[in-house]
Amino acid sequence: MKKTLSKKLWLLMLALFTALVLTACSGDDEGSDNAEGNDDAEGSEASEGEGAELTAWAWDVNFNIAALNLALEHYDNEEFNLEIIENAQDDIVQRLNTGLSSGTMKGMPNIVLIEDQRAQSFLQSYPDAFYAIGDYFNTEDFADYKIAPTSLDGAQYGLPFDTGVTGLFYRTDYLEEAGYSHEDLVDITWTEYIEIATDVKEKTGKAMLSLDPNDLGILRVMMQTTGAWYTTEDGSIQLEDNEALKMALENYKALLNNDLANLHSDWSQFLASFNSGDTASVPVGNWIAPSVEAEESQSGLWRVAPTPRLDMEGAANASNQGGSSFYVLNIDGKEAAAEFLGETFGSNVEFYQDLVTEVGAIGTYKPASEGDAYQFENEFFNGQQVVYDFSQWMEDIPQVDYGMNTYGIEDILSAEIQQYLDGKDLDEMLTDAQAQAENQFK
Amino acid sequence: MKKLKRIFTYLFLSTAALVSIFPFLWMLVSMTNKSVDVTGGRLIPGLHLMENLNNLLESTRIGTALWNSFVIAIITTVLTLLIGSLAGYGFEIYRTKGKDMIFNILILSMMIPFAAIMIPLYRLFGRISADAPLIGLDTLAAAFLPTIITAFFIFFFRQNTKMFAKELVEAGRIDGLSELGIFFRIYVPTMKTTYAAAAIIAFMNSWNNYLWPLVVLQSPENQTIPLLISNLGAGYTPDYGVIMTAIVIATLPTALVFFLMQRYFVAGMMGSVKG
Repeated sequence: MKKTLSKKLWLLMLALFTALVLTACSGDDEGSDNAEGNDDAEGSEASEGEGAELTAWAWDVNFNIAALNLALEHYDNEEFNLEIIENAQDDIVQRLNTGLSSGTMKGMPNIVLIEDQRAQSFLQSYPDAFYAIGDYFNTEDFADYKIAPTSLDGAQYGLPFDTGVTGLFYRTDYLEEAGYSHEDLVDITWTEYIEIATDVKEKTGKAMLSLDPNDLGILRVMMQTTGAWYTTEDGSIQLEDNEALKMALENYKALLNNDLANLHSDWSQFLASFNSGDTASVPVGNWIAPSVEAEESQSGLWRVAPTPRLDMEGAANASNQGGSSFYVLNIDGKEAAAEFLGETFGSNVEFYQDLVTEVGAIGTYKPASEGDAYQFENEFFNGQQVVYDFSQWMEDIPQVDYGMNTYGIEDILSAEIQQYLDGKDLDEMLTDAQAQAENQFK
Repeated sequence: MKKLKRIFTYLFLSTAALVSIFPFLWMLVSMTNKSVDVTGGRLIPGLHLMENLNNLLESTRIGTALWNSFVIAIITTVLTLLIGSLAGYGFEIYRTKGKDMIFNILILSMMIPFAAIMIPLYRLFGRISADAPLIGLDTLAAAFLPTIITAFFIFFFRQNTKMFAKELVEAGRIDGLSELGIFFRIYVPTMKTTYAAAAIIAFMNSWNNYLWPLVVLQSPENQTIPLLISNLGAGYTPDYGVIMTAIVIATLPTALVFFLMQRYFVAGMMGSVKG
């Protein structure tokens, strides 16, 4: 009897304790609820005070982080402290999504680097989380194509950073052997590119380029020369009756089915495809230049021509692949962070010269192209002023609104494309892909 | 005929063994090669081990990351075992109304993927950060607290407790031991193998845990090993030699824990109670 009593007492105490803890917790919750909508304040508590340290998240020590460090060197403000934290790009996406969707700003950085093609999904999903920084620099100083992805409803949120301006890197020796000079490659269409590729294959036995069947980057490069995308400006999916996409796909099929392209399945194979001399050209973003130059024995054998365009009215011989921009979160320290960005990335021509020579990054700040570093004649590329050329092409890149679901749509498309390559009708394939994409993203 | 059969058996087993061991061997070999050789698929050990190691030590805080991972893994293991075994023991030994229903609800909670509760959990830690900075966001405690109470270990211990001779509990009571005394002095020593098996699983889970530490541990001082490795591979020009070196270092502790406790592990998994 005694035993059961004490047992009951224990249980009672346990219940009481649990109840206490629960009420304590819910009390806490209420307290915080009052502060809702003002979650910014929560995050700021940690970074309050004079000369408090701000944080920035970015990926790649040798590129983006090096650029931030360089900007710090160029920033003359002793009260400004910035801790730059290296995070893998996917990790940044995961952390931002978790933090922002839980509405908890604590631990979020002041400055964050976001890839342009992902930016809209953040800006549209978390409208109050970012701080509009349009007043801290002049948007007209930047390449036009960078503005659509970094702004929302007329407000400028991102400070455009590096460009993914594309170029047609090619082997002069192979092209000469096939009977083509540099002029024959300037301002061509993708249809002409395929003709040239056929000649190159015939006369040298080399493939014109190497493609990864699981990466549709080349389609995006082709499409953007006309200013078209998988989605329209209002965000609706346009795979069906998308003339630019159709033309890009026809070119893609012609390259693959006529054996003009080698295939690779990962990054190292891709690098090997041109370092080993197996392919005659590399039509991708300018960021590939250091990897091309890595094979020193091929010095003087490479040049860069403008990107081929799609054979359509209004298409430009310029396109983009990759590139990212800096964003400021709407928490304490936002003014200091925006000022820092505005005075370095936003307006400092000299900083951009060092950026080219020390980091090898080409920014999207237009006045920078007049600086000395941009005029550098690169021996590896036959003395061509590669950086200057890129900065000029950059200004011609047609502006595209990347929308929210570029990568999602592409997953659907890459499965469908296999059927197209196997003989399925192009329109039918796009109609099917359209239906799938609409189901998934609406 | 019998010989032929044996040859085939060995052939099959050798192939299977090779397939499962090869990635591990390749990792060890790659640790000693330059990045270019790794991507080139070189299978012969090279001379770049020290160079990779130096690069790793210079470019990352691997010491801090190892320490953090150890602290989190050890605390997680100890607490998980304590709580899981107490609960599992309670569920099996005591008779209470509704016990099985509660247990079923617990088991059901195993069906919910972590990604589904991550955001509410993050919100929770964000909320308590101001009042309880020691267990708030960006502390090691935040990284292990949600993982120490898991339905899996309660289930694991309950199943294993079924093999535990209940007469021992009664004997303990007759001899005047308190209920907790019975647990710590009789149950724990008897169930050593179960604890060892659970310890390995808990340690490995914690050591390799990625998603939750990724979102709660924001500052570099709190980085754990999986986060560090993820960063290494994220650059535009990753150094695979260095990455492989880091992975080998990250694998050693789990391998060590496993080999040290292997004997118990096998016994524990079979549910033996012979202490």
